[in-house]
Amino acid sequence: MIKRIFKITFLLMIALSLSSGMAGCKSKKKLAREQAAAEYARTVETAKQDLLSIINDEGNMSLPEKESKLQRVKDMNINEPEILALTRQAEEVIAAEKEAMRKKWEEENKKKTEAVSLSLADYFALVAGASSVENANIKMNEALKLFAGPNTPVLIIISQEGDLVDYDRPTTAKKYLEYLKDQKKNLNEIENIEYDDNGKIKLLELIKKDY
Amino acid sequence: MKRFSLILIIMTGMAFSYTTQAQTDISPERKRAIDSLAMEKIRDLGKYISIIGNKQTPFSEAKRVIDRTLELFVEEAQMGVSSLSREEVIYYAIREYLERLMLLNYDKVKIEWFNIQYISDLELQPDGRYVGVITIFQRFEGTSDDGLIYKDVTKKDITVYVERKQTQIGGKLIGFWDVLLGDIRVVETTK
Repeated sequence: MIKRIFKITFLLMIALSLSSGMAGCKSKKKLAREQAAAEYARTVETAKQDLLSIINDEGNMSLPEKESKLQRVKDMNINEPEILALTRQAEEVIAAEKEAMRKKWEEENKKKTEAVSLSLADYFALVAGASSVENANIKMNEALKLFAGPNTPVLIIISQEGDLVDYDRPTTAKKYLEYLKDQKKNLNEIENIEYDDNGKIKLLELIKKDY
Repeated sequence: MKRFSLILIIMTGMAFSYTTQAQTDISPERKRAIDSLAMEKIRDLGKYISIIGNKQTPFSEAKRVIDRTLELFVEEAQMGVSSLSREEVIYYAIREYLERLMLLNYDKVKIEWFNIQYISDLELQPDGRYVGVITIFQRFEGTSDDGLIYKDVTKKDITVYVERKQTQIGGKLIGFWDVLLGDIRVVETTK
């Protein structure tokens, strides 16, 4: 009798443990699903917040930061209508900011060109009109600082007919300044200036005054 | 072989006539600009010569100006030098002339060019270059430390060559007129 009770108890225990094991397995899958869903929801939320931070930024974030944030969101490949709409909005914000920056750069560059044109034209007049070789050399060296280097090309237009432009033999910044010093005549006007990334003149185009 | 030579001659002729044609087709306005450019180079030369001859010019400056002056000339160009004290005209290579000018044995040297004008207009040559002659008058005055002054006025003819060339600058093809000066010949020397 005792043996039978043991046997039944033993079988009950096995059945109990099996049933509890199956239940545990079922809840783990559910848990994993829930965790994945929660993780996805968090990712979507992060992406949403990132996109909103780009859209609503009031100047705290730099353009490269915004671009890299947007790229991170895009790399997540979230196919949620809300995220896709916000992504488009963020792209528009970045494009608008880029355009504004380009316009600002253009205006600044224009102002700088006018300023440098004036000072360069002043230097040309000062070198050509210098009272001594020493004075001319001082002004020449100051003027040369505006150029990318002493060998920066200088072109002089002698005639223009539509697209056909005739130049004198190309010279360099240093040689042109020496020419002004030697000849003491300043016969050319500044037609165009091109700058390098450091704001130095990388190409100077002049035109004959009497042309 | 004969046929090949014939083709080569024809092709060379075509290329040559194309170049000539390209340079012939210039408007009077462009031609005026070239004439004026060549004239300007002659004026520049006159100024360089006066700087080199001037005893007030520092040696280093005179040397630099000699190099700049040489850039105006074709290789092998010569300069005629005359004197009231001798009949013959001596011709020097330009560098030698300029170096002698710098070292002239006077305390004060004044050189001035005037009446600069074309005596033969720039004309297109079969080789595609424009060639002309510009005449100048040079007034020379040298004073020595004992107060003696040597003075003369020399009329000189300068051959001018102008050629259309192209070069690449900043990724852009630039078409320019290269003005080069040839021999400078003495026409006459007077007091």
